[in-house]
Amino acid sequence: MDNDRDLLLISVFTFLTVSLWITFELLKTIKTTTVSSPVQQIVIPLDPKIDIETLTTVVNRKVY
Amino acid sequence: MPYNYKTELQRYRKYYQSLEPLLEKPRSRAYTAIIFSFLAVSLFGWYAIRPTMETILYLRRQIADETEINKKMEDKISALIEAQAAYQEIAPVLPAVDQSLPPSPDAVPLAVQLRNLASASGTLLTSLQVATVPLIGKDASPSALPGAKPTPGTDNQKAFELSVTVRGPYAALRSFFEGIVSMRRIATVTSATIIAIRPESAATNSAQLGTRFLQLALRLKGYYLVE
Repeated sequence: MDNDRDLLLISVFTFLTVSLWITFELLKTIKTTTVSSPVQQIVIPLDPKIDIETLTTVVNRKVY
Repeated sequence: MPYNYKTELQRYRKYYQSLEPLLEKPRSRAYTAIIFSFLAVSLFGWYAIRPTMETILYLRRQIADETEINKKMEDKISALIEAQAAYQEIAPVLPAVDQSLPPSPDAVPLAVQLRNLASASGTLLTSLQVATVPLIGKDASPSALPGAKPTPGTDNQKAFELSVTVRGPYAALRSFFEGIVSMRRIATVTSATIIAIRPESAATNSAQLGTRFLQLALRLKGYYLVE
């Protein structure tokens, strides 16, 4: 009888360990991005505005 | 002695048969069923369910990422089109930017501008020293040595030092100083020293005998932008 109980405990803990392992593996899969680093650099937002005020200031400065 | 299976079978029969009464007990059968169920679920969970679930979640994540990347790409394309239009709009004034912050040290044009400024402001340029700068080619600073990695950002902006000494009356020196500040070529004053000079030495340089003459020594930094 004790032998049966030991085997049951081993199987239950095996099941729990495998379940947790699978859960963490799936969480890692969900959290890990699939976008490569070069693509991440390519899609960095670009601000198309040009500082006209500074350009005007530069143009208005004198050349000797 | 040869192996006789009949005698051996008789000898171990009691062990073979001992499992049968054990499995006939309901409690033992229940335990066995539960144990093998847990082990089977664990085994198939690891070797069958996990890869399938991982593939499903990976594909869903990939779809979400690709959708987001697609949106960001479209935004960036729109921004690039706007930037291209803005660039074409300001293209005529871009040479002014190059004059302000040239791609090479251009020490000689800066020296010429300082000479012209001194002449225009009525001062006498007595000395002009430029520190070691690469006249043509790449920068000779330690960051340009082989193996040194250029850092993007403000590290592209380089500077070299100049020393200028001019003489003249206060108003002319002030005009010279203001001229440096308002000059298109960007140069900053790191130190300035003004001393009075003797009237007789100044009189040899100028016809204004009654005016008090000063000598202005400036240390400047001229900037340029390395591509």
